[in-house]
This record gives sequence, structure tokens and C-alpha cells, in this order.
Amino acid sequence: MRPRLSIAPLLVTALLWAAVAPSIVIDPREAGAQAPSGTLTVAVATFGNERWLPHLYVGAEDVVLKPMYENLLTRDPKTGDLAPMLAERWKVADSGRTWTFYLRKGVQFHDGRGELTAEDVRFTFATLAKDGSANSLAPEFRLIKSMEVENPYTLTVRFEKPFVAFGNKVNQGLFASVAFIQSKRHMESAKDDGAERHPVATGPWKFVEHVRGDRIVYEAVENHWRATPHFKRLVFLKVPEPSTRMAMLRAGSVDVIEIGGEYADELKKVGVRTLLMPNVSWVYIILGGQWPTKATYDPKVPWAQPDAERARKVRVALNLAVDKQAIMQRVLGGLGTALGSWLMYPADPWASDALKKPLPYDPAKAKALLAEAGYPGGFDVTMNLTPWPGRGFLPDVGEAVATYWEKVGIRVKRRPVDRAVFASDFRARAYSGVALAYASPLVAPEPWEVLYRAGYTKAALCLFVEHPKLDEYVDRLAVQPSYQERVRIMRDEMGPWLTEYVPGVAIGSAHAIVGLGPKVGDWPVIAGHMGFHNWEYVSRAAR
Amino acid sequence: MWRFLIGRMLQTVLSMLVVISIVFVLTRLSGNPVHLLLDVNASERDQQILMHHLGLDKPLPVQYAIYVKNVLHGDFGNSVLSRRPVTEHIWERLPATAELGFVAMFLSVLIGVPLGMYSAVRRGGALDSAARVFAVLGQSMPAFWLGLMLILIFAVVLGFLPAGGRGGIEHIVLPAFTLGYFTSAAILRLTRSAMLEVLGSDYIKFARLKGLPERVVLWKHGLKNALLPVVTFAVMLFVQFLGGAVVTETVFAWPGLGRLILESITTRDYPIVQAGVLVLSGLYLTGNLLVDFLYGYLNPRIRHARA
Repeated sequence: MRPRLSIAPLLVTALLWAAVAPSIVIDPREAGAQAPSGTLTVAVATFGNERWLPHLYVGAEDVVLKPMYENLLTRDPKTGDLAPMLAERWKVADSGRTWTFYLRKGVQFHDGRGELTAEDVRFTFATLAKDGSANSLAPEFRLIKSMEVENPYTLTVRFEKPFVAFGNKVNQGLFASVAFIQSKRHMESAKDDGAERHPVATGPWKFVEHVRGDRIVYEAVENHWRATPHFKRLVFLKVPEPSTRMAMLRAGSVDVIEIGGEYADELKKVGVRTLLMPNVSWVYIILGGQWPTKATYDPKVPWAQPDAERARKVRVALNLAVDKQAIMQRVLGGLGTALGSWLMYPADPWASDALKKPLPYDPAKAKALLAEAGYPGGFDVTMNLTPWPGRGFLPDVGEAVATYWEKVGIRVKRRPVDRAVFASDFRARAYSGVALAYASPLVAPEPWEVLYRAGYTKAALCLFVEHPKLDEYVDRLAVQPSYQERVRIMRDEMGPWLTEYVPGVAIGSAHAIVGLGPKVGDWPVIAGHMGFHNWEYVSRAAR
Repeated sequence: MWRFLIGRMLQTVLSMLVVISIVFVLTRLSGNPVHLLLDVNASERDQQILMHHLGLDKPLPVQYAIYVKNVLHGDFGNSVLSRRPVTEHIWERLPATAELGFVAMFLSVLIGVPLGMYSAVRRGGALDSAARVFAVLGQSMPAFWLGLMLILIFAVVLGFLPAGGRGGIEHIVLPAFTLGYFTSAAILRLTRSAMLEVLGSDYIKFARLKGLPERVVLWKHGLKNALLPVVTFAVMLFVQFLGGAVVTETVFAWPGLGRLILESITTRDYPIVQAGVLVLSGLYLTGNLLVDFLYGYLNPRIRHARA
């Protein structure tokens, strides 16, 4: 039976937004009050796949594409709430089945490609969803039933089923939020090859040059509708070696560097300024094989065996054996918070104190639980040590956990494996009995949105864990239009269930740091946004 | 001479065929690029479409036959990542690599040959000892460490030179020295031992007995003969610089061919790896061929034997 839903809260929310929206947009005067000048040079480890077309970039390019592109919505830097961007307001109706976006008038595409209209937005969404699209949001955009251009500045998007979190899919304020709005006119006239060589968008920075594997150069758009940058040029250099990035920053060759938490002490020692980006990813150990309905299910895997109680004891033991606090301190350089709750961050409204508390470090109890579960002498585990882009610390987390497990009698075989090799197993769920460290970036603010991909039996892909109870929560949350009710379900029902079920080894939320040179002044970042963003608001330091 | 030339060329073509076959098989054993090009949540249909688009859905022998046929027509295919012609990527990176290789080679020869020669002539002297210390350090210091130390001293502390990237002439000094130091030390040692051997030979003694000036004995009769192994070594090293400078290119963020190939291996960009290796092995084999001819020029005995 379909739950009874009220659309009143949605309408109220939409009206409220319409009323307060203009005050949430960062005033252009808050950005470069004077004409942009100078160059801001940034050294990053990777440019991702270095693609510029919406159906060809995956999401890892977020950092280098974001200066140029814009989305319909963004997140308020302070509260994390949805805020207007290219859409000055929006309306959600029919319990989340219909989303109407009212575009800002007068927003221009770069290089004289004309004004942004609803046709551009419709074209972008259709491109994201087309067959063979590599965009990470393609599955979500394929849920669109129809799109109607009401007038040049109004687009209505309709879904078969309620899509209450669609606002998070068209959002500049999240990592890998790659529904960047493209110019239909440019894409059609330049064709794929031309548009790839010279992309055009509406953002505060316009494309100048891209030397593959070496540099990407942007130039400030003066009198931009939202924020005229303080710097005239923004140059991204690809510098894969972290020591070189550090040296380049210290030598003044670059102004901003991407750096891992393991360098935090070193940066401090040499007096380099850092910027903290708090709670950008959630670190945990995936215990592969918890998918009893799939062909690759192996009932002999201790943590996924059919005897649910014994399996749970094993999973709890694997948690108790690990000192999460020590991992946070020694592996992540103190840049994070050990947490017991799943896919939640300390300041989230659904993260209650009871949920946040991690399972204690208690190797003796872990051994006892293993014995109770029928493994007094431990068992064999393979720990994959696989680095993921932007999360180079993961093999070290895996190694630390493996060492703790060995102390309680578990025999761990370390398997350093490249992501390309493991990816096929990951997709095919062919890693039953294998554990690996993973960090989910904050690509969606609500935990159920992440679980929709990682723990939902009916989703196209279920990478991590499946359970009828989890499906039930996801089903309810996905169509629940009231944000407050979703908060309640996550805090009072799904959160406690996950904490009780213990799907893996929860480590906690991790922060990221950035090294800054003397040229850089203020840099307002959006809490929870992994990777660089908001370049247009980076000010020049006062001399 | 012609028979020798044709035989060597046939050998070169055969070797390249073997190389591309090995690279073709190895790249395909190392993972599927589709998994890196698509999001983990991509559907089976998206995977199939991309596999088809990249021609990876065909049986391996068919893929191999298409690849060899295209290569013979000068078509190396498109990068699976950028979907641009592979040759475009190679040409984009080759100038940076050649620039670094030439300067590093120039530095190596400029330092290694005279030092090796004088070290042999002044055997046991202070200069010889200093040169040997230089050689031992050069051959034992990893390029990675040396590069970082040079960056620290000359870029961070003294601020004389940039820490990385490609730009004006000042950008090439540190990477070229890092790359060239190891080889200059090797060239020094090789020149020294070759000179020592040559200086002990009868014809040098005879030249001295004839009363030829020492300058002529050393430079004309000594060095020319001692250079034989050095030339072989230097040419081979230069070719290695073009593809094997990956550590130096990474440390100094130098956008060269070595880094392109390494990154393409990581991303399973088969066409770039295949073309890159083919270009490098082509250069290597051409270098070998060149050395054979240089041998003939430098050593008349070899020239006459081949004729």
C-alpha cells in the first residue's frame, strides 16, 4: 500500500525558498570587489579522466571542472541546505514527482554563446541520461519521465515515482555533483570534438587552455552574475608527487596544493598555512559477501553466513578488535572523528549521540565473541589494499585494520590490488570473503541516498550489503517528501537498525586539508564538500 | 654492406612485431578500461555500449588483427580516455621528453667524457679520486631522492630555480641534472676504463715514440678509440631517457612521454600504451642500428669486415 503523503510541507518549503532565496545567494560584491588580477596556481594530484562533455565525465573531474560550470542549485555554506544557483527558485509538487525550476534571467554562456534558457537545461539532462553515458548521475536522470519547457526560463521535470532528493542531484555544493548545465547551441554547433576542445559554460571562470596531463587554465569572467573572481587567472597543474607539490608551494611556484592528512605535521613544521575541509568522507571497512540473493553469495564467509546471529557476532568481533581512535590519529593524522553510526557525520541532524558512539576497542571481548561464533582459532581473510582517487590513505587504513585483526587470531592475507583490476570484481560482487577499506565521499547529504546505491537490493548495483529491512527503509525514505520525517526515520529507525546490525567496521568521518601559499586570503568552503571548490570566492591576502 | 643493412632492418621490423604482440597481450591481461571510464553504478547496458564503441567486445584475436592492420596503415587508434588520436597525444608529449633527454644527454657527455678522460690520464691523482667519488655518488643516488634534494636546495631554500613544471630554460636545469647525473657518472666510468685500456695499447705507445704531441695522442688516437663503447652506451641511454625518465618526470611534474605511458598504464588506456611502447622500441631499435653504423665509422676494422 502506498503511504499517504501530504504535499503541504513541500509547498511551504518551496514558498519559503522563494521568499528567502535571494538572501542566500552570495552577493557578487562578496567576491572580487575590484577587477580581477594576478594568477592563482593550484597543484593537484589528478585531473580525473580529463573529459569536458557531460556524458563522458564520470565525477572524479569535479575539482577541475567546477570553476567553469554551474548547477541549478547549490548548498548553503553554513547550513548545508539547498540554495539557488542558476535556478532562482524551484517548486516541488505531487509528492516529489514534479520539480519545476525557475531559471535566473540574464545568465550568459561564455564566448557570446547566448543566454541560459530552459532548453539548455533540458538538453543537459537528456545528454546525461543517454545510452552509454559515463556520468555518475546517469541512473538518476534516467528516472525522468518527461521534461516540459514552460517558457524560456521555466522547466518542469516529471518522474514516475516520487524523487524527493532530486535537488541533491542538480547541486553544485556536493562532490561529484556533475549535472553541470551546458549550452545546447554550443554543443550542437561545435559537435563533440569541438566542445571537448573548447568547452563553454556559465561559471565565473572561462576556459582558456587544457594541456592533457599537464595544465588547465581558466580566466575570470568579469561582472559575472554571481561572483567575479578576485584572481584574473586560475591555473591547475597536475603534480602527482605529493613531495613535489609541497616543495612547489614552499618555493612559491604554486599557491594551493592538494595534500593528504599524513602530511599535516610536516606542513605545520615548515610553517605552511592549511585550510581544513571538515567531514568530507566516511571511512569504513567493507566486509564483502553480504548479498544472500546474488549468485556470488558464499555461505561459508564467516560474517555473511546464513546463521544471522553467528554472522553478527563475527562482525561485532571484527569491530571490537580495531582501535578506531588510533587509526584516526596515526593513519589520518588526527584529521577525523571516530564514529559508530553508518554514513553519518557528527553534525548531521540524524546523528544522535547514541549512534555516534563507536564500538569500544576490546580485543579480549573480540576473541571471546569469535569463539562464541565458532571461530576460536580465527579464520582466513583477504584484505584488499586498493587506493582510490583522492583517498590515498585507504591502503594504510586497510593495513592497520589487518594488523589489529591478526592480534585476535584472524589470519589476514594482504592483497595490494590496482583499482582497475578490482573494479570488475567490485561491480560483479565477486569479492565474497574479501575486506577492503573504503571512504564514501559526501556525494549525497542523506545516508539513505548513499545506501540507495550501496545497500539496496532493487538498485542497479548493490556493492556492499543487502537486507530486506534496509530495502524497506530505503523504499520509505525515497518517497518521503517531508525532510523532518526523513530525519526522524534516519535517526530513530534506520540509524539504530544499522548500528545494531553492524554491516562492516565503522571507522568514522575524515577531514581533508589544503596547503595554502601567502597569496591566498579567505576561502569560504562548503562543509562536507570533498575536493576544491568555490574558487571564485578565494580572496587575495592583504599585504 | 647492403646485405648487412637489409638484414638489420628486417630484424628491427620482426622485433617490433614481437614487442607489439607482447604489449597487446599484457595490456589486456591487466584489467578493463571500461571499469575506470564508467561510474561503479553504471548499468550492464552502458558497459556493453562502451565496450562496443571501443571495440573491446570483439574476440582477442580479432582485436589483434585489427590493431596490427591499423598500425601497418599508420593508424594507432584513439585514446580510450580522451577519444582523440593517439598520435596527437604522443606528439603533444614528445617535445618535452626530447627536450629533457637532449639537455640531460648533453650534460652527461659534457661532464662524463672529459672527466673520464682526465681521470684516466691522471690515474691515482686527486682529480681521479674526486671523479671516482662523483661516479660512485652518481650511480648510487636514486633519481627520486636526488631530485627532491635539488628541489629543496635550489627551489625552496635558495629560491634560484623553479621546483617543477615545464616553462622557460630555468625549468629544465634541475630535471636535466637529475636525469643526467646518473648517466654522466656511468659515462665517466666507462670513458675512464676504455681510456685506460687504450692508453696501454701498443699503438698509443708507438704514437708517443713517434714523438706526437700528447694532445694529439690523447684526443686523436686515444679518445677516438675509447669512444666506441661510450657512443653505444650514450645512444642507448638517450633512447632510454625518452621513455624511462618517468621518475624524473614525476618528481618535477614534467609533462613527458614516460609519464604519459605510466598514466596510461594506470588508466588502462591500451592504445596509448601500445603506441608509446611501439615508438620507444622503434627508437631503441633505430638507436641500435645507428650505433652499428657509428661503429663502422669510428672503427675502420669493423667497416672493412662488414664490406
